[in-house]
Amino acid sequence: MTFLEALSAGFTLVAQWESIFFLGLGVTIGVIAGAIPGMSATMAVALTLPFTFALQPIFGILLLLGVYKGGIFGGSIPAILIKTPGTPASSATALDGYPMAEQGRAGEALSMSLYASCIADLMSNLALIVFAAWLASFALNFGPPEMFTLIVFSLTIIAGVSGDSLIKGIFAAGVGLMLATIGLDFIAGTERLTFGSIDMRGGLNFIAVLIGLFALPEIISYMRKSQAQDHRVRGMGYSKLKWLDFRRCLKSIFRGSAIGVFLGAIPGIGAAPSAFLSYSEARRASPNRENFGKGELEGVAAAEAGNNGVAGATLIPLLSLGIPGDVITAIIIGAFMVHNLTPGPLLFLNNADIVYALFIGLIASSFLLLIIGSVAIRLFRYIADVPSNLLFPGVLVLCIFGVYAVNNSIFDVAVMLVMGVVGYIMLLLRIPAAPFLIGFILGPMLENNFRQAMLMSRGDLSIFARGPITILFLCLTVISVVLIIRSTMRAARLKREMASYAAKSEQAQG
Amino acid sequence: MLSRRDEILTGLGVMLLAAATLWWIIPTYIAIPRRVPIKALSPAFWPTIIAWVMLICGALLALRAAFGPVTPDAAADDLSVSRAEGLRLLALGAILVGVYFALPILGMVWVCMIAFALLLLLSGGSNLGWGLLTAILLPLALYFFFSKVAGVAIPQGQIVRLP
Repeated sequence: MTFLEALSAGFTLVAQWESIFFLGLGVTIGVIAGAIPGMSATMAVALTLPFTFALQPIFGILLLLGVYKGGIFGGSIPAILIKTPGTPASSATALDGYPMAEQGRAGEALSMSLYASCIADLMSNLALIVFAAWLASFALNFGPPEMFTLIVFSLTIIAGVSGDSLIKGIFAAGVGLMLATIGLDFIAGTERLTFGSIDMRGGLNFIAVLIGLFALPEIISYMRKSQAQDHRVRGMGYSKLKWLDFRRCLKSIFRGSAIGVFLGAIPGIGAAPSAFLSYSEARRASPNRENFGKGELEGVAAAEAGNNGVAGATLIPLLSLGIPGDVITAIIIGAFMVHNLTPGPLLFLNNADIVYALFIGLIASSFLLLIIGSVAIRLFRYIADVPSNLLFPGVLVLCIFGVYAVNNSIFDVAVMLVMGVVGYIMLLLRIPAAPFLIGFILGPMLENNFRQAMLMSRGDLSIFARGPITILFLCLTVISVVLIIRSTMRAARLKREMASYAAKSEQAQG
Repeated sequence: MLSRRDEILTGLGVMLLAAATLWWIIPTYIAIPRRVPIKALSPAFWPTIIAWVMLICGALLALRAAFGPVTPDAAADDLSVSRAEGLRLLALGAILVGVYFALPILGMVWVCMIAFALLLLLSGGSNLGWGLLTAILLPLALYFFFSKVAGVAIPQGQIVRLP
């Protein structure tokens, strides 16, 4: 299929009312979920996933991408109005957004947040279209050794999603990798860690694991505390965004979008560092830098551009290499799998129409976000008022129906419930769940490619240095590990200094 | 960040889990063919490597907590559970276990209605009217979506069956 044929086939797929409907529905669900304190874009994508089974692949994936995009923007609404970021990446938006709301300029902040989000999202989608196909055509030459070294490099993304403790992140990834080995061994055909259960011979269901890990711990946490959270919602105010103000922020929006695209394309970095980097760069370059943190419009624009600039770019490694760029794209892989689509270079060969339909749909999503976002801003008060004691039981019911629907299996419901308890224990012990999920997804790919390479070379490990591609990935892995160790040691030194400072001040007080 | 004691216990727990995996679970629950020409192709090869990595992680966690800088008590996360919280967690656990075992008997719709109502009561029982309405309508709506639109055979149970 030539480029033009694929493009026209993709356009035919998108030019159906259902495509636009499901995309719009996804953006709406995402914005609402992102705006509800206690919900997150990740949870919303995980809960929407089972509803895509009944849909055609293109509709289902567009629905999920809509939820993803909407969820990222939606998180900025509570960040501005109640200083409760809906997503971690929206924390940077709250730095100037909430002071603006306190000054009665919430309408201005929210409008800027929406426009910056839409522009950054559009730029990110264009970057995806330009780079994904190119990277995929390069990846077509990959054999098992190249794929293995690529996945080893990708596993260094665990450092980016490990939070406070890299060791706990590695342990969590180890548990994910271990659970991924459950089932029948694909070479010997013997049982591995099935404990004699027939249900476990096919391995653990991916969706049951991820919903258990990301949705149930929130329910358990809420039920344990069971306190109604009091959110003080700020009014919209009477100020409106002026063209001159918007124009002076454009430079920060484009800079933030570029930062988002660059960081988003690297697996594991995610939206939060991008939003903060964009914010700090805008502050450094702005003539109003002393106003940052006190209600500066440019701060909101930069943070939101950095945050949303990631959304399309994280799909570059997903679509071209089959490697998730962050936790949400890891969940979106599930949607591809459910519809028998395998993200990676072959997707561009075998399902080029779907790939191009996704590209066109993503461009449309930026415009839908503009329309739906402007309505959501006005309706936020009602969205934030959903009582938590109705929300969380509802989430549990959605989890049960959704997980059962994947395989018509009550065993999967049990897996979800057990994973929920495991996820809650991990939450208590500050063991991050994201590396677990990434290990669980990349585990089978890692092992299968390793073993295929071993079969090819009859056990000779030098196959992993057989050409420039494998050597490049090995070098990148070494560089990445060195950088991770350096930053971990720097953080440890900082912590030691803080601990000794705290001890000294305690002594002085005593 | 956890307190030093909790971090050490976490590290030891991780080591215990990894050791159990290495020396009990893998030898007992992974069937290895008699002849494996290349060691790396053995079904136990990969799980063994992962378990060793987990063991090392556990040791590093415990050592770091024992000899590293102390987190001031005020800054450390408290893992203690109050009596009321413990009871609520126990009740939630009982509800979740009950959901699993009741699914084949009562059917998914009725189980979800009951679970919703019980969780509503467990969380204080405010918004009871709306809550009970949602407890009835949400499972019914999901039942009709999954069974009539998506064609999924939702478990109906042995007592009251839906159309």
